Amino acid sequence: MPVPESFDNAKLNRRALLLGAVFLVGGAAALTRFARDPQDTAGSGPVLTPDQFALLEQVTEVMIPATDTPGALGAGVPAFLRQLLAAWGSNETRAAVVRVLEAIEKESWGKFGAGFLEIPGERRLELMRSYDGQSIAMRDVAYGKFKHLVLLGYYHSEVGATQELRYELVPGAWRSCLPLAEVGRASAV
Amino acid sequence: MNFDAIVIGSGISGGWVAKELCARGLKTLLIERGRRVDHKVDYLDFATPWEVSNRDMVPEDEQAEHYAIQSTCSAFSAATRQWWVRDSEHPYVTPAERPFSWIRGYHLGGRSITWGRQTYRLSDYDFSANKLDGNGIDWPIRYADISPWYDRVESFAGISGASEGLEQLPDGQFLPPLPLNCLELAFKQKVEADHPTRRVTVGRCAHLTEPTPEHIALGRGPCQMRNVCERGCGYGAYFSSLSATLPAAQKTGNLTIVTDAIVERLDYDHAKRRVSGVRVIDARTRSGSSYQARVVFLCASTIASTQILLASRSEYFPTGLANRSDVVGRYLMDHVVGIGAAGTHPGFLDRYYYGRRPTGFYLPRYVNVTENDGDFVRGFGFQGYSGRSGWDRGADEVGVGAEFKQRLRTPGRWDMRLVGFGEMLPRADNRVTLHESRADKWGIPLVNIDCTHGENERRLAERANRDAAQMLAAAGFENIVPNGNISPPGQAVHEMGTARMGHDPATSVLNRYNQAHDVSNLFITDGSCMTSSGTVNPSLTYMALSARAANHAADLLASGDI
Repeated sequence: MPVPESFDNAKLNRRALLLGAVFLVGGAAALTRFARDPQDTAGSGPVLTPDQFALLEQVTEVMIPATDTPGALGAGVPAFLRQLLAAWGSNETRAAVVRVLEAIEKESWGKFGAGFLEIPGERRLELMRSYDGQSIAMRDVAYGKFKHLVLLGYYHSEVGATQELRYELVPGAWRSCLPLAEVGRASAV
Repeated sequence: MNFDAIVIGSGISGGWVAKELCARGLKTLLIERGRRVDHKVDYLDFATPWEVSNRDMVPEDEQAEHYAIQSTCSAFSAATRQWWVRDSEHPYVTPAERPFSWIRGYHLGGRSITWGRQTYRLSDYDFSANKLDGNGIDWPIRYADISPWYDRVESFAGISGASEGLEQLPDGQFLPPLPLNCLELAFKQKVEADHPTRRVTVGRCAHLTEPTPEHIALGRGPCQMRNVCERGCGYGAYFSSLSATLPAAQKTGNLTIVTDAIVERLDYDHAKRRVSGVRVIDARTRSGSSYQARVVFLCASTIASTQILLASRSEYFPTGLANRSDVVGRYLMDHVVGIGAAGTHPGFLDRYYYGRRPTGFYLPRYVNVTENDGDFVRGFGFQGYSGRSGWDRGADEVGVGAEFKQRLRTPGRWDMRLVGFGEMLPRADNRVTLHESRADKWGIPLVNIDCTHGENERRLAERANRDAAQMLAAAGFENIVPNGNISPPGQAVHEMGTARMGHDPATSVLNRYNQAHDVSNLFITDGSCMTSSGTVNPSLTYMALSARAANHAADLLASGDI
């Protein structure tokens, strides 16, 4: 038989007190360690070979290079994508990402007679510009998915959200109509 | 234990009933079929984008296997996954090619945690519509009956909004409104100049823009403009059962809550014409038990309450409790959604905003109110959303490298989407029944849901698509795309109408106080009581009807009439 429970409890009160303090000092970031998803699961195994991962590292860095802010490598995008494919991706999504990496490698051999990792930086950019342009024009579903995941990996990383773009965990106010120059960069969310 | 009252369901309706009954001094048992949840403690609202699991995406295989229907709700994500049932564990039946989306969560607080928080009053255009055009039966109440109860629930819940003086969308007790953004202001000026009886106003929403002492005393604080509401709000800044009604009920010392308790049926004592017991199954152990009280409120949500009534067969009610009229389960409605249009605007590129306003704007119904050229009855309103596109546009744009990265540093063009919410007529063959042979893992018969849109819905959807595109075009938008076809019913998550209120016990289940015509101590105040759907989000009406019915029941108990 179900046991009647009291709605109130000591745990709730402690948390409420803690949040009350946060109201005053605005230090909500201090709470994030309590905010992990309890159902968060680690990856279940390798989804990319070492060669594929090395290729992914260089492809993503060409797509989002280090400038005055870190690029894909500096933001940990390749490692994030590997983990995401293991923990989140279906077999179909994993296959799509591998297919894109294989297509890029094949383009590199076809155009330059060498693998993507062997060609110099300006050739990599040239190749990726061309491959990206074709793929978007053809509405290539696998590439669209891949590009979205790369961008998600970067712009929702701490580096991408807080250094490249703008992110406030607790904005605290709604200012409805401002000069863009006053706000600066695009919001990450 | 002895209780004066039992409330079945802890969502918006059940929470309100519990609060009001407890305030009247009644010992109240609240029964929730889902698990216990602790306000603030169990929320994931302080997780940053890089901390939340898988960037807030539910694993693809898990979503396909367990959340095929729930994941169609826009609020579904990794950080809100705990607020949805697994479809794989909570099946229901629909006829082939007639889908119905039953979107729900089983936990303390129910859908009051994930609701859209849009709060609008019905008007006498709505309460008199059935009588005037002959669809459905007459509502047994009018706006004057419910208006003071809207006042009462708005003050307690905390509703932000702007007064507009419109007959079809009555004003209420509002906290300060949130301002429109630059593009919305320009759109408002153009629409109102072109169409003097159309209005654009900021969304009225259950958010504390300026908390009152009553809100603060319950531990609630001002909205922080984070817009992660569906995860649950650690500031208690939006209304939910957990932030507002249940803490208030708890403070009286009169509330007892049981969770993981699935109501299987209501027992009926024909000699007294009363519910004599509420039978429950422990969700974890499957053991059975029964509770008794002087009055029972059924607030389990429209389809679940219908399931309980239909399962509560007896010698005197062979087709389900309180179903002498044979309307229990019939006249299922939702709102017509999936309609409207979207576009992008070339201007205002030097303007932006700061913060994440947790509501859009609203364009109230005008068709068949101030403009009478529709080839259909009733009408629709639009909820609108606008902002500048962000980095995610990059996946569809050509570009890689430093130039591309620099481009995405700046927000993209402004866009706007008008989302129509159309009225759905009550039709007898839109119906919830019990499956004859299939049962869930607790042995409770599955529900069959057979519900379709009709010709009137299709006509008003066409008009909504056309009007939305026309208003956007007139305001200078480009790339205008109609939202498309009507979504399957259920997608608005406004299901209602299956135990409707009415004057006549032969054609309705409930009287003007949400009391069952034929069972004197049974009240139903969730969406199933609705006699028509109106065009506005219904939760505020459920709050007002719940508070009104609870106080009426308390009066009847005090006078010895039930």
